[in-house]
Amino acid sequence: MGVFAWRNLLTRPMRTLLALIGLSIPILGVLGLFSLSDGLRNMVGDTLSQIEGVMVMSENSPSPVASSMTTDVVAKIRAIPGVRAAAPEVWRLAPDVEGRGLTSRLIGGVMTKSWNSMLDQPVVTGQDIAAHAKLRSAVYPRSLKTKGEGRFLNEGDVGKPNVVISRKLAKQFGAGPGEPKKVGDRLRISDVDCTIVGLYDTGSMLLDGVIVMDIGMARKLLGMAPETVSAVYVEADTPPGYEAIREAIEKAEPTVTARSMNEVQSSFNVMMSEVDKVLMLVVSLALAVGVVGIVNTMLMSTTERFVEFGVLRTLGWSQADVLRLVTTESACLGLLAGVVGCLLAWAGATVANQFLGGGIRLGVTPGSMALGLGLSVATGVLGGFYPAWKAARMAPMEAIRLGSR
Amino acid sequence: MIDVVDVHKTYKSGTREVHALRGVTCHIQKGRRAFIVGPSGSGKSTLLYMLGVVDHPTSGRILVEGRDLTAMSEAERNDYRRDRVGFIFQSFNLIGNLSAIENVLVPFLPRGVTPERRDRAKELLIRVGLGDRLDHRPYQLSGGEQQRVAIARALVKDPDLLLADEPTGELDSKAGDEIHHLLRELQETSEATLVVVTHDRRFITPQDLVLEIQDGLLAGDDDAEPAGGLRSAADAAS
Ligand SMILES: Nc1ncnc2c1ncn2[C@@H]1O[C@H](COP(=O)(O)OP(=O)(O)OP(=O)(O)O)[C@@H](O)[C@H]1O
Ligand SMILES: [Mg+2]
Repeated sequence: MGVFAWRNLLTRPMRTLLALIGLSIPILGVLGLFSLSDGLRNMVGDTLSQIEGVMVMSENSPSPVASSMTTDVVAKIRAIPGVRAAAPEVWRLAPDVEGRGLTSRLIGGVMTKSWNSMLDQPVVTGQDIAAHAKLRSAVYPRSLKTKGEGRFLNEGDVGKPNVVISRKLAKQFGAGPGEPKKVGDRLRISDVDCTIVGLYDTGSMLLDGVIVMDIGMARKLLGMAPETVSAVYVEADTPPGYEAIREAIEKAEPTVTARSMNEVQSSFNVMMSEVDKVLMLVVSLALAVGVVGIVNTMLMSTTERFVEFGVLRTLGWSQADVLRLVTTESACLGLLAGVVGCLLAWAGATVANQFLGGGIRLGVTPGSMALGLGLSVATGVLGGFYPAWKAARMAPMEAIRLGSR
Repeated sequence: MIDVVDVHKTYKSGTREVHALRGVTCHIQKGRRAFIVGPSGSGKSTLLYMLGVVDHPTSGRILVEGRDLTAMSEAERNDYRRDRVGFIFQSFNLIGNLSAIENVLVPFLPRGVTPERRDRAKELLIRVGLGDRLDHRPYQLSGGEQQRVAIARALVKDPDLLLADEPTGELDSKAGDEIHHLLRELQETSEATLVVVTHDRRFITPQDLVLEIQDGLLAGDDDAEPAGGLRSAADAAS
């Protein structure tokens, strides 16, 4: 019976192929979306696990890049009991780097199809070097020490155009492919020639887009007033802990938002679960489209074989037998579409990983493949059911009469 | 043994009612050859398919080997069709996607084909002269050859009842003759009762039972058992 079903599919190869494509694309979409959300989760998870303090920004700022406060908050925060260290920072999107502005980078990205440069808008941060030296959980010095080269900023760099950048930026702004910027090279930011003193490498796409320099230098470069700060990075003593400190800061200074990284992580998780809900919706829609396609194909096929079903019924097949034949056919179709969808997703992820750097990796796991196959078979069975039911229900006599004309 | 007792069949097409059968009563003994003849539209096919429980009467009873076909459940009807009745159609109706031998075995496909059944199918195909065409698809066979496969398919279940609706209707006279001889020959070596609807009276021999239908009524029998079958069945009913 399985062989019979299979041959029936092969009788109309073009139609089968079209139905196959029709269902394998939603399956591909499902796997693609899942792997993207997984990749995102991993990347952000990686990033967040490297930062542990509390980030203080002006109220309702989505990110430090859009935040503006004055230096007097720093003293107020330091006065709060339990604050171990508070390090002011400025953050802004980088102006032209090596003569490449945002627009030219975007256009360049499109021209060279390098999605990286479109995704990664470099960011400049200026750090209060003395205050940052007192931090225990500073990301950049740590990653420079473990995986980078050169040195991190020290007291001697105050007011000087010395920068620490990531290996990724070094590659991006190098003279050409295979010729990244090295320690000691110059990096032109806006109209200032900076010197690269160190290279770090956090492996996170979000953290690796940052150019680190002295806070005073950064203000000058970015045209910010001398008393401006974007954010204060706060470390707390073990008791009272980060959550208590976060609350204390927001109470003492109502115009700021304090975010502990734990909180960011959990709000990220909440966001991702929202994303997952949207994903499920998209998946359901895609599968609905798949089901409709299968229904259409199988309905065409069963209508065409009306007489044949009548003959089979006359020869002793039961309604259930006809039902089983048609659902087997559509389940086969679904399975085939699932296999094709999985292969495409796997190939797509492999190719995409060549172009996506910096911490985001798309993976098509055996689990998600099994899910894809299961979904496609279920879609096939579901979509085949109505045509199968219709085929099984018809009166054999009418079909026979039709056939003898 | 077949008993048809006062069978009526009314088709409704829209508001119009078509009385295809209007009280048919007849009696066919086990192992006999019966020919249903009559003008087009007289109800021949209708009667034949009722014997195979493909269609059911509006009223009346049909008994085959003591079993009341009109009182069968859906499952019983399926089993009866699969195991007890062999059908031969005018337009062969082989399944295009199956080879000759698979076509012969198609009634058993859902329940699984045993090796014994396969051997039997092969034997029958050899018997009908297609021993070298077992794996040919219908489109690779001539009409006469396709009808031979259909005969093997009807006989593979060793049926009580062999039903053929104008089995030579789409064949030329030579192929038609061959098919009729084959049917006759195979029926003689089996226990099956053969009922054939035909327009062609040259296949009918004096020993055969002829049921002549006109306008949904049995017109009587020209040859053997003049009205005898009819009367005995009618008596049984009253
Ligand atoms: N589904 C149906 N609806 C309406 N009328 C029908 C239907 N099926 C059959 N009939 C009518 O019933 C009558 C008997 O049909 P049947 O097929 O039994 O005739 P027949 O004797 O086999 O004719 P032929 O020799 O042309 O095959 C015909 O008048 C036909 O039009
Ligand atoms: Mg007819």
